[in-house]
Amino acid sequence: MKKINVVESVLKANDAVARENRRRLDSAGLIALNLMSAPGSGKTTLLEKTIAALGSDAVAVLVGDLQTTRDAERLGRMASQVTQINTGKGCHLTAPEVAAGLDSLDLTGLRYIFIENVGNMVCPAAFDLGEHRRVALLSVPEGDDKVAKYPTLFQAADAILLTKVDLIGVLDYNRARVCEDLGRINTRAPLLEISAKTGQGMDLWLAWLREQQASATRVGL
Amino acid sequence: MHEMAIAASLVEHVLEVAQQNGAARVSAIELEIGALQLVVPEALELAFQAVTQGTLAEGATLKVTEIKAVAECRLCSTRFEAKIDDYLCPQCRQADVRLVAGNDILLKSITCEVQQSGHEKD
Repeated sequence: MKKINVVESVLKANDAVARENRRRLDSAGLIALNLMSAPGSGKTTLLEKTIAALGSDAVAVLVGDLQTTRDAERLGRMASQVTQINTGKGCHLTAPEVAAGLDSLDLTGLRYIFIENVGNMVCPAAFDLGEHRRVALLSVPEGDDKVAKYPTLFQAADAILLTKVDLIGVLDYNRARVCEDLGRINTRAPLLEISAKTGQGMDLWLAWLREQQASATRVGL
Repeated sequence: MHEMAIAASLVEHVLEVAQQNGAARVSAIELEIGALQLVVPEALELAFQAVTQGTLAEGATLKVTEIKAVAECRLCSTRFEAKIDDYLCPQCRQADVRLVAGNDILLKSITCEVQQSGHEKD
């Protein structure tokens, strides 16, 4: 019997590919944003509006879903480069899947890559994809208790988007509860209240994106 | 939910190390799991059993130790134990932290039976 001491991160293979992805994105002068949320929180609609504002040639999207190319088809009408990643049974994207997605894109001339993760509030947070910023979305219809229920997603976020805020009045939503929970979990990330449908808050989101893009490419982060 | 991906990655490492060491069978594995990883030990155990079937690690025991989460405040550098739903700095009352422990899954050791006839590699 022989005991071998190892002491290695189990996710080191993923993390090594994530670092390589980040290096590729840095040398192309891009910022990559990993969008994470539950299914149905409005990631695809937000991206449709975001691409329209930033310009279809400046943005590429990698879309993760278990099945179908529906999101890619929707976004393909807006952005010139969209790649669908079907994870099959995988409940989150991994760095090698993103690396393969990057292979399918022409990075020249791009300024933003949005990685739309598989809709899931738990697993995506554990996997570095090589992104520069993490964005967590929480839609009003999901309820005002989700920050406390799925804290790791929100803890790791660089920005938190409260989406579908046009429904706040209809659903008797307690916005203060979300802020109170974030007060214990993440006071660094800005909380942006958005409705992609009415356009409310889109200016704040776009300003945040442009600021991140400028600072990431300036310091090579 | 992500236990299967973790088990698959774990077994890949274990088999790599086992083969490098000329192991005939892996009998035990020690793992440290950070409290913030949201890993359910029972789910990991099941996934581990499924992934190891027909490999050198089939039937190996999995010993899991949970590691407490330690956060460092980005504003005042205070270190404190974070909870999965609480990252509030006891000094400055802000929740703006860098995680310094408890956010990783580490393979610590592998115990294996070495082949009888073969020459043991170091």
